[in-house]
Amino acid sequence: MTTAIPLLQVTDLSIRVRGTSAPLVDNVSFTLNAGETLCIVGESGCGKSLTALALMGLLEGTPLQVEKGSALFQGVDLLSAKPETLRGLRGDRVAMIFQEPMTSLNPALRIGEQIAEAIREHRDMPRDQVRARALEMLKRVRIPAADKRLDEYPHQLSGGMRQRVMIAMALANDPALLIADEPTTALDVTIQAQILELMRSLGAETGAAQIMITHDLGVVAEMADKVAVMYAGRIVEAGTTAQIFDDPQHPYTLGLMSSMPSLAGDQERLVTIPGTVPSPANMPDGCRFAARCPFATGRCKETPLLQDQGAGHRVACWHAPVENFAANSRDEVPA
Amino acid sequence: MLAFLGRRILIAIPTVFLISVFVFALQHLLPGDPILVMAGEERDPEVIAALREKYRMNDPVPVQYLAWAGNALQGDLGISLRTQQPVLELIAEKLPVTIQLAVMALTIAILIGIPAGVLSAYKKGTWVDWLANIVALSGLSVPNFWLGIMLILLVSVKLGWLPASGYMPISEDPLQSIRIMIMPAFVLGTALAATLMRHTRSAMLSVLKSDYIRTARAKGLREHIVLVKHALRNALVPVVTVITLLFGELLAGAVLTEQIFTIPGFGKLVVDAVFNRDYAVVQGIVLCTGVAFIAMNILADAAYRVLNPRMSDQ
Repeated sequence: MTTAIPLLQVTDLSIRVRGTSAPLVDNVSFTLNAGETLCIVGESGCGKSLTALALMGLLEGTPLQVEKGSALFQGVDLLSAKPETLRGLRGDRVAMIFQEPMTSLNPALRIGEQIAEAIREHRDMPRDQVRARALEMLKRVRIPAADKRLDEYPHQLSGGMRQRVMIAMALANDPALLIADEPTTALDVTIQAQILELMRSLGAETGAAQIMITHDLGVVAEMADKVAVMYAGRIVEAGTTAQIFDDPQHPYTLGLMSSMPSLAGDQERLVTIPGTVPSPANMPDGCRFAARCPFATGRCKETPLLQDQGAGHRVACWHAPVENFAANSRDEVPA
Repeated sequence: MLAFLGRRILIAIPTVFLISVFVFALQHLLPGDPILVMAGEERDPEVIAALREKYRMNDPVPVQYLAWAGNALQGDLGISLRTQQPVLELIAEKLPVTIQLAVMALTIAILIGIPAGVLSAYKKGTWVDWLANIVALSGLSVPNFWLGIMLILLVSVKLGWLPASGYMPISEDPLQSIRIMIMPAFVLGTALAATLMRHTRSAMLSVLKSDYIRTARAKGLREHIVLVKHALRNALVPVVTVITLLFGELLAGAVLTEQIFTIPGFGKLVVDAVFNRDYAVVQGIVLCTGVAFIAMNILADAAYRVLNPRMSDQ
């Protein structure tokens, strides 16, 4: 798995608002192999959705701009390819589903047509085959009475059903990569579980690699092969799901883990990370988590690089591994 | 859809009733007695009495209204006091002219205004947007009569391409009829195009921000499909309202433009009738215009339902 050419290799991706200096996404790098699921975790505004939109080439027409970096996908650099090349890939080799199923479908078009047009755009197929394929996709995402739903409008469907339609649409052309931006955040908890289960089984069926963006560690545990934890525009820790959950190394990841409610524990209140995320307008120099970090030292004024701690477990902290925290903390003035 | 139209027409009945009451009240509220005008210079009391009897002026007002409304329902809107022609005949004579002018003007307005609005929203903040806005602003600011006269001077007098005035029924010689009408329609249409462009632009700007436009792009659809099939279709809902209101306005008569191009349309009929206290004609026109407005509104509602399927369930 490690020797093969990765499906997607993102290197040093930086995104900023046109005309400003502070990047919203700063030197993000990760790789994804065929069939793998990568979860990008982080709080709102940490740059995880921007990363996804940049990979889709959907930042065009917004005030945001890719400053540098590359994202090699099947021999094409998604960040520097011509718009026409990207358009050909979108919805075909790379597909995306979004957070808001209620507003992500066009209210004026029938469900069947919205799936069919994605197929027609990329495949040369006769009309009845396109319709048959759209119907097949609805069945695959387990929408009951699919042939009836084909001719319905989005407002006739519930949120969970609409998200299934979005998934059907995204998978209609058998993409090699599916990017899902908080696909379950807007749904009821029971529906969330159904959608996650559906995405996992479809992932296994189609062999599509997935990038799942979420702030929900429960989703990560459920879905991910690999995890990248983002904080304030940077990846602070990355590794396999087991590495991140069993052996978190970055103080931010540790904070995230301990702020997860647990049924087993006897804690009365949820643990929180003190302080707030720095605003993009005045990002601190050095480690961006330092101001909230209980282990911060003077050294944290320099930017820590993602360092491999062994077995591909990468951490951006001067004090990693975690065993050093106790030794280092509080013996210097915190930054 | 049929049930919906039936319901809308039923709802329109009280509105038409109110319009008719207002129209009927017109002749009682306005100063001056039409019977005296009809009786002529001599004002022979016998003639006046006979006329009062003939027009049932001695009956109580509600009875008069019922008689008038009954006649109106049967298509009898009375007789022009000036020309002694039945009002319905007068209207039937002028209405096709005005409808033709209105349809042509609106077609021109739609063909210019909607694409310009779409383009300027899509290219927001670029020179295309600026240009479209400047042209639209000039379209709104240039008075119709000035543009009309300038067009006549240039196209008819100097270049001799199109006739400067007149009218030809479309049933007799369609091509000539359109040739004659194209300049006045253009004059009216450009002003309306500006309005349409502004409305289309703002509707498109808000639709282009929606999530489903991002979805359409994520599917890899070509930009013109995103713009027309996904964005414009949703943006048209408010624009359709504007179009129907504009059409209603056009039906009420483009007085100045008809005057400049000497088109024998509604506008001229209205002005003549008002100046001559030709109440029956004014009543007939107000009633017709009112009904036309209501009809346009029903059409607009029907169009919403085509554009926005969510409304069909209600």
